[in-house]
Amino acid sequence: MNLSSVFAYIRNMARADWIKTFLFAKTAPLTTPGYFREYPYLTGKECTHCFQCMMVCPAPGAIEVVMTDKPGVWNPVIHIGHCIRCGLCVEICPELVIDSGRVHKKNATSGTYMQFQFHITVNPATCMGCGICSVACPVNKEIDPQLASKGTSTTDEVIMRVYKGINTVFHEEKCTGCKTCEEQCPNRSVMVARVLEPLQIPEGQ
Amino acid sequence: MKKTVDVSIPLGPVHPIFKEPCRVKCETFGERVLSAEVELGYMKKGIERIMVGRPWQEVMFLAERVCGICSVIHNFVFIETMEKISDISVPPRAGYLRVLANELDRIQSHLIANFSYCYTIEHETLGMYLLNIRERAMDLLELLTGARVTCAYIVPGGVRFDPDGEDLEKIMTEIDKLETETRRYMHIFESGPLIGLRSRGIGVITSEQVKLIHAVGPTARASGVSEDMRSGHPVYKELGFSPVVRSEGDNFARVMIRFQEVLQSIEMIRHIVKTLPSGLIRGGGTVGRGHTTYSGEAPRGELKYRIKSDTHGRIQEISIQTPSIMNIEACARYMIPGVTSIADVTSTYISSDPCIACTER
Repeated sequence: MNLSSVFAYIRNMARADWIKTFLFAKTAPLTTPGYFREYPYLTGKECTHCFQCMMVCPAPGAIEVVMTDKPGVWNPVIHIGHCIRCGLCVEICPELVIDSGRVHKKNATSGTYMQFQFHITVNPATCMGCGICSVACPVNKEIDPQLASKGTSTTDEVIMRVYKGINTVFHEEKCTGCKTCEEQCPNRSVMVARVLEPLQIPEGQ
Repeated sequence: MKKTVDVSIPLGPVHPIFKEPCRVKCETFGERVLSAEVELGYMKKGIERIMVGRPWQEVMFLAERVCGICSVIHNFVFIETMEKISDISVPPRAGYLRVLANELDRIQSHLIANFSYCYTIEHETLGMYLLNIRERAMDLLELLTGARVTCAYIVPGGVRFDPDGEDLEKIMTEIDKLETETRRYMHIFESGPLIGLRSRGIGVITSEQVKLIHAVGPTARASGVSEDMRSGHPVYKELGFSPVVRSEGDNFARVMIRFQEVLQSIEMIRHIVKTLPSGLIRGGGTVGRGHTTYSGEAPRGELKYRIKSDTHGRIQEISIQTPSIMNIEACARYMIPGVTSIADVTSTYISSDPCIACTER
């Protein structure tokens, strides 16, 4: 113990900001900052139930678009325990139905958005032409009601149907990426790829 | 046969100073450690298997969750690997913003590593000071990305959010405060006599041993091996990056090198904010088919991703090589044997900044 260490100790204690903190200690109130990307909440805009938020969600079962009590009104429901607050559903929603933190504000100022493409691939080696996928597809059922009731279809307007003994894709662009066909396929020969592309509108357009 | 081992002492898997479960088995003679062995396998998640068959927008979040402390770098390296596979170019502004997020993440990771060391050598005051200033880095990360830990900031072809002038101003003022505080605590650490007694000359690893066992990151750089994956990254090259190297190779050097890298990162962030190019933050581009290996510098060392993807960008095979596994081995093989007390075993182990969550994935 020499004198210099005593002086060093006193000099350390006699700093203005230390004395200020010691005498007038104040803790900032616990508030959530506005830029925190919280759980998505509804903004009150009308949902067109395009289901893109469900397709982009990386956490299984975190967001669901369901029919409400009012006729024809659909709304997304966020399951808090499953949601990981990634904010992708907010970025992809074309109708600005949900918001979280500053995601909308940032997207509006910098013109950023995301775009989806869906690709269906059929493995001809394993497809046995049972047609479960094309009957299960919700978009197919809307396009050709006969497919839903009888299980057979002759029109080429559907996304896919069994043609010459194998499942054939006719209109890939009509796919909404719900993966019902992939889930229903007994031997995993139908695969749906959800290809997401982050984009930005170039300045001056 | 002469008995040389008095007793074999296990530390862990549950131990007050370990952040994550791991067992260090030491064979001792008195209190001097003759040899040590690290036993892993208490928190295997199997995260690489979950990633298989999923597109980038799902794997990105899984990659972040490999490690809770250095989550941005996992996002960074995974996305740059996917970009390398599918030839996506990144706009300059986005490249700079990525580095900004990554350096903020490095600051908070180094500060928590140093907190952990100070806590282990029973200097809790300094440890708590360091945790306190770590909050500044976390707040800046939240300001930039919207989340403190799992930021999900980097996407193929760019970044997600563009900071405006107000945000950048706030980053500059906060980073100034962070720098003065870091310098003060670095000085306390450097000049503290009792800290020196617990740290200097303990757990020494020479540069030959580092090369032999392939230790990476601050552990290697503290022994005079100038090895940093950032030197080869185009944006870091533009920023004039050169690795910080020390030559002592003891616990003290490993902690000091992290302090120096925090200051270096602060300087880099200042440079980025001043010279941030204007323009787009997303260049677009879809992820495609390919097979490649890519590595980046995590706060603990070299992080390597090997990915094979199919036509539509779904992951078919993935393997992640994280830095801690080599550092833990270096610790067990060279640093711990020879320390003179059991108390130094834990501090030496923590000084190499082991991240078990990364290691076992």
